[in-house]
Amino acid sequence: MSNETEAVIQIRNLSKVYRDFWGRKKVQALKSLSLDIHKGEVFGLLGPNGSGKTTTMKLLLGLLFATEGEIKILGKPASDVSKNERIGYLPEESYLYRFLNAEETLDFYGRLFDIPAAERRKRTDDLIKMVDLDHARRRQLKEYSKGMTRRIGLAQALINNPDLVLLDEPTSGLDPLGTRDMKNLIRKLRDEGKTVVMCSHLLADVQDICDRIAILHAGELKVLGSVEELLKKENSTQILTSKLSPEAVNDVKAVLEKHNATIESIDHPTSSLEDLFHRTVERSIERPGERFVPSGEPKNEPAEETAEAEST
Amino acid sequence: MTIQPADFDLAAGLLQWGKAMLSVISIFLGVALVAAVTASGKKGLFTVLDGLIRTVRDFASLSPRRVLAISRLTFKEAVRRKALLVFVVFAVLFMFASWFLTGESHRPGAQMKVYVTFVLTAVSWLVLPVMLLLSCWGLPEDIRLRSLHTVVTKPVRRNEVVLGRILGFSAVGTLILVVMSVTGFVWVQRQVSDETDLTCRVPVYGELSFLDRLGVPTEKGVNVGDIIETRSFIEGGTNATAIWKFPIASQPDELRLESRFEAFRTWKGDMEQTLRVQFSLVNEATGLKVPLPNTVNIAEFSTNEVIVNKTLTYKDNITGKDVTVDVYQDLTTDGTLQIHVQCLDRNQYLGMSQGDFFIRLADRSFATGYFKAVAGIWLLIMLVVILSVTASCFVKGPVASLLVFSLIIIGQFFHPFMAKILNENPEEKLKGGGTFESIYRLVRHMNETTALPEGFLTNTIKAVDGALVNCLWLVQHIIPDLSTFKMAPYVASGFDIPWNGSMLPAIVITLGYVIPCLLIGYFSLSLRELEAK
Ligand SMILES: Nc1ncnc2c1ncn2[C@@H]1O[C@H](COP(=O)(O)OP(=O)(O)OP(=O)(O)O)[C@@H](O)[C@H]1O
Ligand SMILES: [Mg+2]
Repeated sequence: MSNETEAVIQIRNLSKVYRDFWGRKKVQALKSLSLDIHKGEVFGLLGPNGSGKTTTMKLLLGLLFATEGEIKILGKPASDVSKNERIGYLPEESYLYRFLNAEETLDFYGRLFDIPAAERRKRTDDLIKMVDLDHARRRQLKEYSKGMTRRIGLAQALINNPDLVLLDEPTSGLDPLGTRDMKNLIRKLRDEGKTVVMCSHLLADVQDICDRIAILHAGELKVLGSVEELLKKENSTQILTSKLSPEAVNDVKAVLEKHNATIESIDHPTSSLEDLFHRTVERSIERPGERFVPSGEPKNEPAEETAEAEST
Repeated sequence: MTIQPADFDLAAGLLQWGKAMLSVISIFLGVALVAAVTASGKKGLFTVLDGLIRTVRDFASLSPRRVLAISRLTFKEAVRRKALLVFVVFAVLFMFASWFLTGESHRPGAQMKVYVTFVLTAVSWLVLPVMLLLSCWGLPEDIRLRSLHTVVTKPVRRNEVVLGRILGFSAVGTLILVVMSVTGFVWVQRQVSDETDLTCRVPVYGELSFLDRLGVPTEKGVNVGDIIETRSFIEGGTNATAIWKFPIASQPDELRLESRFEAFRTWKGDMEQTLRVQFSLVNEATGLKVPLPNTVNIAEFSTNEVIVNKTLTYKDNITGKDVTVDVYQDLTTDGTLQIHVQCLDRNQYLGMSQGDFFIRLADRSFATGYFKAVAGIWLLIMLVVILSVTASCFVKGPVASLLVFSLIIIGQFFHPFMAKILNENPEEKLKGGGTFESIYRLVRHMNETTALPEGFLTNTIKAVDGALVNCLWLVQHIIPDLSTFKMAPYVASGFDIPWNGSMLPAIVITLGYVIPCLLIGYFSLSLRELEAK
């Protein structure tokens, strides 16, 4: 944990209520979220669909206005546009201009930053090569496949060589090669000292590359901590063998009983983040309104039920 | 449409602009403050203050680079969305135009009138709707497809988005207009067979007053019963005189007087024989009256030209000697030249209005007038783009289009009406009071001049009416007066477009909308989350 280092993002008591045109409440998408993200880390924002990940990112960027709470991002409030000079953002779906081609797209976004023309051209070229779109650089984005659009979206997010990169489901729509490249890229960004915040549903990937994660459910923070610590399970052992016959399993059981151990489950091995994720979400559904608990275990005290907590 | 419009008073215009701006801003700020304070108490005050500071900062740090990037994008978008297909319509229109327009008339100038009117009307009717739709739909589409999301997560200020859009669409409009108007110019020149028909006269109009048949000054001449009462008539063979006072700014060797009078005959007479008219130059101060050497036989339905030389010789009535005078030295007083017009035929009448008689200065080239009119269309395009982009910041495309369209219609036709209600012209002061006062009078069966009873009710009624009038004043000053943008008729009738009466107000009106619209657009985009609306 690197609590001492500078917090790039500080979120305090952030709540967001979506309202309709008349100001009536539609959805409470975020409930009192507090979170620090530090310089140089890769932070994973997890949670089931509709848990408020994208909402959080949009609030950080000032695309949405917080109902309550405060945000400091790169030392500035979210409403300050000048913070965007150092931020790169890949939206959930690539919202780009479909009548532009790859080159024009990067050139356009480049012009929005204070980058000299020569440098802009060089970066455009480098980024197009980096995301493997060299063969399609002159084609309009409306002809692009989903993965190709995703790639150009990523390139667009990096055009200003940002210090803070916000990636909303960066791997969605990418092929396995692209996914691998994406992971390598995120690692590279971290090595360059940049801060990366990403949402993803691919837990194996998150486990691979994230330093710290937060799991949201129904707008509430359920789990926060470093991946390593969250997944460490000191009082259990996992044995991986080749496939066992039922008799062999019985034998193993007997051996374990002899050593006073019990079998908790015999299963095909799963990634442990996936476990944590499922457990967190299931518990959260069982006991709504429960607050942040390290390592996904429920607290012993009865959970405080908030009046507006919506159980799903 | 040949009469010089009143000169535009720039200072008064700016003053009114300031007043309107101030009213709108204070209303806006008041509403914002009240809303913020009722919603979140003291904190609301700071929110508003914070917003104001941010506004100032955003406008101070406006970056031409980003604005230009967005306008380039807008231009590309319009081109790739095939806005330029409008050229095809234009081309088709022109291919068939000559079928319908040729052989209209042999009167000089009439041919040119038809062609020029056609070209300028076609151009504005093609460009304006295209620009209106393009700029009303651009931004809402951008918001709906959320491509604007990606843009505003770059260091782009919302005012840069608005300004960039305005400039981009203006560029599109300019391109379309330039291509069409140049094509139209070449086309007109090829269609009009007689080159000399393509004139661009620069008129100096004078003030017109009359002497009746006994030589007594009157404001108007005789009305011969025309339905349209624009022309006043003087009776022939009497003392009835039309007096024209022309301002003299330059002193050319020859003064060209051009007239176009209407004849009204009380007896048929010799139809071949036209009416005879005597022009005389008069110096009121010295009493000197110099009749021009020849009477003029006026040709009806066409123009008559009289050349006045700088030096004139006439026969003095008393001494019978020839006297030579200088027009500018001896006949011009305080920069004004007085010309008297009399009809010599007894019982015939000569009709005229202010626009029928003018000094014709050196002509400008036809191109000058034509492209000035094009500039008028261009200014209107700018105005439409500015209004449309602004409207599209807070409502969706269809609503924005409708809104701007209504503004244009109101601005085109309803300004005189609003001015009338506002009692701006003291001569046409409405009787019976404002809305509520007149309703009250109707209900109580009072006539419109009876004084209302003193008391609370009367005061309330007057106060409400006063407030309504102020609202209307604001509306009148917010909605652009578009009649000044109509410049084509000048060119079509072979006249130059007056700078002070037409070009300047059009420019000022357009510029006047830039700042308020930018502010409105900025606030509409800043105060709102840009989720699909
Ligand atoms: N524009 C909107 N208007 C109203 N409600 C919204 C809007 N956007 C999101 N929501 C609601 O807010 C909640 C959180 O949505 P959000 O998009 O943040 O979820 P997410 O965690 O990103 O989900 P996913 O994994 O599907 O991307 C959901 O209940 C959603 O319905
Ligand atoms: Mg999402």
